[in-house]
Amino acid sequence: MDNRVLLKNAEEMSQAISRVADSIISEFGVDGLADVALVGLYKAGVPLAKRIAEVIKQRTGAVLQSGTLDISMYRDDFGQRSALPLIRETEIPFDVDNARLILVDDVLSTGRTIRAALDAVTDYGRPALIRLAVLVDRGGVEYPIRADYIGWTMQCRMDRKILVEFSEEDGADGVFEVAWQRRAE
Amino acid sequence: MSSFQWTRKDLLSLYDLEAQEIEFILDTAAEFKKVSARKVKKVPALRGKTVVNFFFEPSTRTRVSFELAEQRLSADIVNVTASTSSLTKGESLLDTVRNIEALNVDLLVMRHPVPGAANFVAQRVGAGVVNAGDGAHSHPTQALLDLFTIREHKGRIKGLKVAIVGDIMHSRVARSNVWGLLKLGAEVTLAGPSTLVPKEFESVGVRVCHNLEEAICDADVVNMLRIQRERQESGFFPSTGEYARFFGLNSQTARFLKKDALIMHPGPINRDVELSSELADGSRSVILEQVTNGLAVRMAVLFLVAGCLKK
Repeated sequence: MDNRVLLKNAEEMSQAISRVADSIISEFGVDGLADVALVGLYKAGVPLAKRIAEVIKQRTGAVLQSGTLDISMYRDDFGQRSALPLIRETEIPFDVDNARLILVDDVLSTGRTIRAALDAVTDYGRPALIRLAVLVDRGGVEYPIRADYIGWTMQCRMDRKILVEFSEEDGADGVFEVAWQRRAE
Repeated sequence: MSSFQWTRKDLLSLYDLEAQEIEFILDTAAEFKKVSARKVKKVPALRGKTVVNFFFEPSTRTRVSFELAEQRLSADIVNVTASTSSLTKGESLLDTVRNIEALNVDLLVMRHPVPGAANFVAQRVGAGVVNAGDGAHSHPTQALLDLFTIREHKGRIKGLKVAIVGDIMHSRVARSNVWGLLKLGAEVTLAGPSTLVPKEFESVGVRVCHNLEEAICDADVVNMLRIQRERQESGFFPSTGEYARFFGLNSQTARFLKKDALIMHPGPINRDVELSSELADGSRSVILEQVTNGLAVRMAVLFLVAGCLKK
């Protein structure tokens, strides 16, 4: 049952990732990138953060610090489900105090994941600032949360879900739309 | 990565679990171990949840470990011990538990002298139940922390040779370890005096032996169980001195050990009875790591069962 619709192909995806990287470079400047760290949120935010870091390195030579974050322990719907997936590896190998952090996720939807990520990452220290980079802003945030660096802005119905796939995880790059039933509250 | 998901509201015995579930708990515990190493040693996962620690048997280390695990998950905690409960007034276990449940608690962590007590309660309440030891039957979080510690050092469980030495007959730690180790593919040897390690244990797929050297000479891990002095009074062995000579691990008997063998003990140690001070405090001992890992494993278990309470 493959009812998914391709929205963006690998080439378009690569251009969008470059747009995100360029916005980061233009905000911090080449010299300002030294204390910027990218924190990828599972699942697709992790490979996305790697891709953004690669583009920034190609463009400027700067090697950003990077980490990964799993927000399972911080979710606002904990205990409302009947099954739990495996917690993935949170690794923040740099000092968060006074760091300039960019949270990276594939899709900004309700904003609830980002709310949880803000709580999670600030348990590691007190960053100087936190920004948000996403490949797709699909509309529909339920919390006062906005993205700072965005690949695409799209309007997507609430009964559809945006999937971002990466060759290293899923075999090929691509952005898709699929039918989706939001979990009963 | 595996798409397996956790779905149990109780943890009663490793006997009930699939190998995949045991590994899932250990993988989850690895992430919780990191929480205790942070400056903020706490996550909000169980915020608003109430946990009752129901201890009908004396316990210090297990209860403290569970309590700390609950605090680091942000749960609210109530401690009930046998001496402070209405059981001393003749109330039945089920009535006590139902009264506690009527207060809308989410999880019960239970230690009880009767085997099967936690299963009995779990079938009759909506709250999640974690067995913290039921008689000689089961002590799943102890076995999980032992497995976690072994895996952390050896990188795997499958194919390892593990010797468990001591009073196997009366030990829930031994039973739980046997189930966990066999499911994950280890080879298990049980050793001790024949009064405490009957040959019948071989029927579950372990080796039984009554000679320490034979038990430990090829072991990757040696788990030395506490010898309870009251067993001597009941005639299971003649004296602690004699037990120590034949089954104690000390500088004499440790000569038989492989160089990289891990020495474990569930605590509390009878120093110089089942294990000499020199070895308990030596470089191959992982006894204090077991304590640290116990906290991580209990956080993982509480997190998983609390996450699956909704029907």
